[in-house]
Amino acid sequence: MAVKNKVLRILKLFGISARMDLTWLLRDTKYAIAGITADIISNLSTVSGIYLIALRFNGIGGLNTDEILFMMAYSTITTGLFIMFGSGNNIHISRIIGRGQLEHLFMQPLSLKVQLFTSGFTPFTGGSNFVVGCIMLIIAMQRLSLPVTVWWVIFLIAYILATMTIIVARAYLVSSAAFYAPVAAEEISSAAIEGTWLLSTFPLSGMPSIIQVSLLTILPEGLMAWFPSLCLLGRAPLNFTEYYPLAFALILSLIASYVFRKGLNYYVKKGSNRYVPYGFRR
Amino acid sequence: MFKYMKTAGMSCLEKTNGGIIYLLPDVLIKICTLIPLIFLWRVVMTSGARAGMNMSQMLTYTYVSSLLSDMMVIETAASGWLSEGVLMKLYGRPMSVLGQLAAQTAGSWLPMLLLFSLPMALLAPAMGVSLKPASPWFLLSLLLCISLGFAIDFLFACLSIKLRNMSWLISRIRTAIVSLFSGTIIPIGLLPLGIDRIMKYQPFACLGGSPLSVYVGSADPGSVILLQLIWNMLLWPVTLLVFKKSQEGIVSYGG
Repeated sequence: MAVKNKVLRILKLFGISARMDLTWLLRDTKYAIAGITADIISNLSTVSGIYLIALRFNGIGGLNTDEILFMMAYSTITTGLFIMFGSGNNIHISRIIGRGQLEHLFMQPLSLKVQLFTSGFTPFTGGSNFVVGCIMLIIAMQRLSLPVTVWWVIFLIAYILATMTIIVARAYLVSSAAFYAPVAAEEISSAAIEGTWLLSTFPLSGMPSIIQVSLLTILPEGLMAWFPSLCLLGRAPLNFTEYYPLAFALILSLIASYVFRKGLNYYVKKGSNRYVPYGFRR
Repeated sequence: MFKYMKTAGMSCLEKTNGGIIYLLPDVLIKICTLIPLIFLWRVVMTSGARAGMNMSQMLTYTYVSSLLSDMMVIETAASGWLSEGVLMKLYGRPMSVLGQLAAQTAGSWLPMLLLFSLPMALLAPAMGVSLKPASPWFLLSLLLCISLGFAIDFLFACLSIKLRNMSWLISRIRTAIVSLFSGTIIPIGLLPLGIDRIMKYQPFACLGGSPLSVYVGSADPGSVILLQLIWNMLLWPVTLLVFKKSQEGIVSYGG
């Protein structure tokens, strides 16, 4: 019963965020549409680069053009989900910590986790890339004649969730630095998220194993699109198990959770020095 | 000139105020992007397709593009400063506003040139990349690229002034368009479906892609520099005129 109430509460909070997003779209339509257009152009520019190379060279490293399109569709879906659920700096958490805004969340009658989970939901103005990604995915699947089964769809959802978990966990892991150095580390999540976005669209097929393994372990950009796409195409690379992204997401999120809690404990004892007494930010 | 040099120096120091350690994530990301990008092009070029460039040229193109990335596509603080209210401060100083922005931008390049470009240039032979320029005209082409980059950036700043609080959106759209059409990530000549023939004459192609193609010897320096000169002569008067008119419309709240 308690779990059911909690789920209902979370859904209601998502509903509140969605209603505020719709209100913005209706009241400031011109600006909201400009924002939607910027999101679409920005993502298409990133993924089209790799796709255009694939078109020009009839594929990259053993992946044909349609397989590259499938991979770019996967990348676009994750970008779309990132924007749809992370529009409130709730994934760029170093900004909230670094700006001393975490206290604002402490005042709400909700747990920090629930607030951060639900506060950035913008399905109307932030959902465009998700829709574009789904359309690209359907086109790629048709061109590849992929046999779609229930299990395949479950794996697709599981991989996308794992990719999102890795993005969020890594952002929270590096953002923990902002608890200790709020000014210097305020934008560190941007370096971890946007800084590596282009790299996450690279098809790693054909590259030396050391590069592939490094990009699946130390800097997991290979798990953002390349590895899960190949698994969904039935060709898990490097003899890795197809459960690897799920295991990696679990381990990384446990580490991030531990480090973030440690940082949070430090923060609640020391506080933030970002605001001067008359309200301006240092 | 001294005061602009001083502004550039202050801008350089500002980048390292928090300590060099806080620049390291950006340096690491640049390295971690460059190395796979080099291998990506190796994979692509070994497929045997004709690309108008050989592998050595392609690797040099990519490497130099990364080393000089700040100069290939100029991004001043103008648009950001507009929304943060900093732009207004520039009017209180006895110096040209555009000059201050240019000096501030040039100064901000130095830490990354020292921390990333210089070490990576020294490591280039180990990566199998030759950094020997094919033509000395590269330097002139680079200067024209930087000059045009400032003109284009100031025009986008004017657009931000005109559209008031849309500077973040304009910045996103501009970054997306310029990164694709400037040839800094993918050389214009490699674009498929005949897009390259149309794209090579647009002003963005005279940014990073032009000096890079002269550097690796994949384009005739004369025609590249002529096109860059034409775009500079066309866009600078427009930029100065539009900026002069836009100044009256600047609204800054501070951040």
